[in-house]
Amino acid sequence: MNHDPFSWGRPSDETYGAYDTKIAQAPAFPKMNTTQPIVTGTSVISMKYNNGVIIAADNLGSYGSLLRFTNVERLIPVGNSTVVGISGDISDMQHIEDLLEEMKTENNYDNSYVDDEEALKPSYVFEYLATVMYNRRSKMNPLWNAIIVAGMEDKKPFLRYVNLLGVTYSSPTLATGFGAHLALPLMRRVVDREDDIEKTTLEVAENTILESMKILYYRDARSSRKFSMAIIDNDQGLILKKGLQVENMSWEFAKNIRGYGTQKV
Amino acid sequence: MNGIQVDINHLKKGEVSLGTSIMAVTFKDGVILGADSRTTTGAYIANRVTDKLTRVHDKIWCCRSGSAADTQAVADIVQYHLDLYTSNYGTPSTETAASIFKTICYENKDGLSAGIIVAGFDDKTKKGEVFSIPLGGSVHKQDYAIAGSGSAFIYGYCDKNYKHDMSKDETVNFMKHSLSQAIKWDGSSGGVIRMVVLTKEGVERLVFYPDEYENL
Amino acid sequence: MTSIGTGYDLSNSVFSPDGRNFQVEYAVKAVENGATSIGIKCSDGVVFAVEKLITSKLLVPRKNVKIQTIDRHVGCVYSGIIPDGRYLVNKGREEASSFKSLYSRPIPVPSLADRMGQYVAAHTLYNSVRPFGITAIFGGIDSDGPHLYMLEPSGTCWGYKGAATGKGRQTAKAELEKILDKETELTTEEAIKQAAKVIYMAHEDNKDKDFELEISWCSLEGTKGLHKFVTGQQLEDAIEFAKKETSVADFNDSDDDEDDNNDANVSSDDEAVDRDGDINIE
Repeated sequence: MNHDPFSWGRPSDETYGAYDTKIAQAPAFPKMNTTQPIVTGTSVISMKYNNGVIIAADNLGSYGSLLRFTNVERLIPVGNSTVVGISGDISDMQHIEDLLEEMKTENNYDNSYVDDEEALKPSYVFEYLATVMYNRRSKMNPLWNAIIVAGMEDKKPFLRYVNLLGVTYSSPTLATGFGAHLALPLMRRVVDREDDIEKTTLEVAENTILESMKILYYRDARSSRKFSMAIIDNDQGLILKKGLQVENMSWEFAKNIRGYGTQKV
Repeated sequence: MNGIQVDINHLKKGEVSLGTSIMAVTFKDGVILGADSRTTTGAYIANRVTDKLTRVHDKIWCCRSGSAADTQAVADIVQYHLDLYTSNYGTPSTETAASIFKTICYENKDGLSAGIIVAGFDDKTKKGEVFSIPLGGSVHKQDYAIAGSGSAFIYGYCDKNYKHDMSKDETVNFMKHSLSQAIKWDGSSGGVIRMVVLTKEGVERLVFYPDEYENL
Repeated sequence: MTSIGTGYDLSNSVFSPDGRNFQVEYAVKAVENGATSIGIKCSDGVVFAVEKLITSKLLVPRKNVKIQTIDRHVGCVYSGIIPDGRYLVNKGREEASSFKSLYSRPIPVPSLADRMGQYVAAHTLYNSVRPFGITAIFGGIDSDGPHLYMLEPSGTCWGYKGAATGKGRQTAKAELEKILDKETELTTEEAIKQAAKVIYMAHEDNKDKDFELEISWCSLEGTKGLHKFVTGQQLEDAIEFAKKETSVADFNDSDDDEDDNNDANVSSDDEAVDRDGDINIE
């Protein structure tokens, strides 16, 4: 699968050949909807550990190759046990934020237990988003995003993915976009299977996420150094850290590199 | 393929376009909007003295870029909404105005090519605010915003030279330099530089002619 | 003059020759028989309280909540036909939600009051609908501070410092006037206790029936502007205060108090018969 947001939702060229643009310039029928993302956010990465779950995303809104908005928050807390991380189109992300806000308001109606047993849980938030995503793709008008919902539910970590096609899946480690290529293999070195979760502490998981964000900043041309990270911990609750920076990068080795093969000076 | 290219494809053949340089900057006493004055159909300059700074409320204005027809229609609708809002609930905030712009741009994203900057002065908080609404219909609150085809050439200049809480003269100067560079390198921008200053004192218009801004 | 049998009370959209809309007046009767509800406007928010009569021993205590939330910053309580109130609150929620989605800010309480008032008033204009059988007391905190409104079946919607409706409104109003007859406004913390007292006093006339007290509040500090129920120790304290105050009042001047009660009874009975003596729904 190609994880570049601009290629999402299109029939792959290998299978169907290049897209015939004449189709898009056809008259009013069939109706054309969102055909591409405009301002985009890149990867969201996340992993479980023995007492919770971590999720991270950078703060960039790209406009094509222009790094246009440098202060976009793509981790959205919902209640105090869920964080939704969104990549892809930023206008659709803001629409999803509005939907989640509405969801919270409606959960408050005639509910005496909003702070306790009827508080929104990650699985509720996820099921709602997955339904929205699938309904929109079925109307041929998708929300151009890949979403990861992370949280704690019944003292167990929750982590699940849904994208513009309405496809959903779970895993102890999840990533969208470039992160699926670059960060997932790194995170899987720590947590590969369900039973690895128990062996992984918060400290190890946090370091893995920081390391992955660094690699993404090295190799994703649509990423930024500034990012946010949320930890949903069984004991400490929800901690959203904003304005973090990729640190401890390795660039010194550049001075020893000369030419591109045989050159010595 | 990227967003900018599709934007141009979206323009129907022969449509009048504001291939533009626009910006809005908050400063100590409020906010200033600025724009060039060129409107083109292809390479032909349909209007060389356009006014791209549009009033939607007493102290909430917008800079328009993209299709002239689309942005005029959107601004007219927003003006209507804000009139209605004012008679019902009193003076709207800049955020409310931006939200109406956003709703229209987001819900009609497939039919519109409109990149809009909304800027306003809030008489209650005595602060200027700027919201950028690019093509897809997302909203971004910023200290200053630049947009339009000419803005591509001045990202570096603006980033280096913008300072918080500048005086009015400093701000006008900063914008004059920025827009003059944008006009210099962008064929779709040109003519005069127009500005609108929004402060507690009221609304002030400024115009700068090529002989002045070309030789800064 | 009695208007019964003249036919002017059968349709909503028809005036009687002396300029009255009988359907609206009958709706008011429905309210006057309802459980007492009150609202108090404070310096830092609003407080709502309602008397919840226990109509059956099989009802689960503390469930079957009456006070509702319209938007996160607006609460609502009402007396009369409860489902009518639910319906009105749903309308209020729609208005609040659509306002927020277009203007990206919470609806100002006066605007919400205006919209709900117009909706209720519209139900007095068409013969295909009946008026709302409730009087709603609602309010909350917005960017201009606290607001409190009372909305009647006619669509009349006025702002109040303290509002009371339902069966015990006479007593409650008299108590509220005493409580709010000061230069400085109450704080919400104080008003919670006073509200409990008012409901307990208003219940005196109806002593044979058991009741539960329900209180909610919007407070700048206490609830960060949101509408929340008063629960746990805070509720217990308020009930204890109310019980103490009412028993003291009984003990101190039992004669006066009896008179007061009688007065209240008489006046409310008067009201129930009719203000002008020419309506009779029995």
